[in-house]
Amino acid sequence: MLVFTRRRNEAIIVADGIEIRVLRVSKDAVRLGVTAPADVPVHRQEIYDQIREENRRAASSPATLPAVLGQVARRSEEPA
Amino acid sequence: MSGPRPSADVTRVETAFGSFDVAADQILSFPAGMPGFEECRRFVVLSSRELEPFQCLQSVEGPTASFLVVDPRRAFPDYRCVLSEVDRARMGQPDEAGLVWLAIVTVQADQTMVNLRAPVVVNPTRMIGFQLMPSNSLYPLRFELTRLH
Repeated sequence: MLVFTRRRNEAIIVADGIEIRVLRVSKDAVRLGVTAPADVPVHRQEIYDQIREENRRAASSPATLPAVLGQVARRSEEPA
Repeated sequence: MSGPRPSADVTRVETAFGSFDVAADQILSFPAGMPGFEECRRFVVLSSRELEPFQCLQSVEGPTASFLVVDPRRAFPDYRCVLSEVDRARMGQPDEAGLVWLAIVTVQADQTMVNLRAPVVVNPTRMIGFQLMPSNSLYPLRFELTRLH
């Protein structure tokens, strides 16, 4: 891992045209500004991690299709 | 989906839902992979009468990335997801009416969950797909699929 010391208003540049700038520093939080090309998504890591975990669960679903259809059909018969 | 004769342009894909013959022009590019399966860049959406209304989003580069998917509007009729400017740009400024939306299904022992928070969207014109992670979505990551609409 590359480690940098940055002060307020200083930035690092990643690849071509991705700038990560320190906007504000407080006791236990840092406010960052990210400037990236129009087609580069930027996410908070915890959101990405949640979706990754759910994808892994989905891909390892043990049930076969009849089980899914049975579950949904059974519940569709219940009163709303 | 089974052609009369396999040729160089057809790949046989084995899934938990059976075998499918996939033509080269059916293969979608997922330039970012899928979270958790970042190395899988080529997928195909498999349909069959037995799967209906579900489909299978299957990696053609390995057996691990295989997802049961469903049109999110079959789970939640008013479902609507707005593409961000970044997503519009990386999908090639698509005509949004032509996009195909797929929600990933997670099957558990007694519950079936649908991921409405991070839908997969495919632009068939460019044969390109992404799993979106809209930062301001209010839809749940785990929506219980109790009935199909």
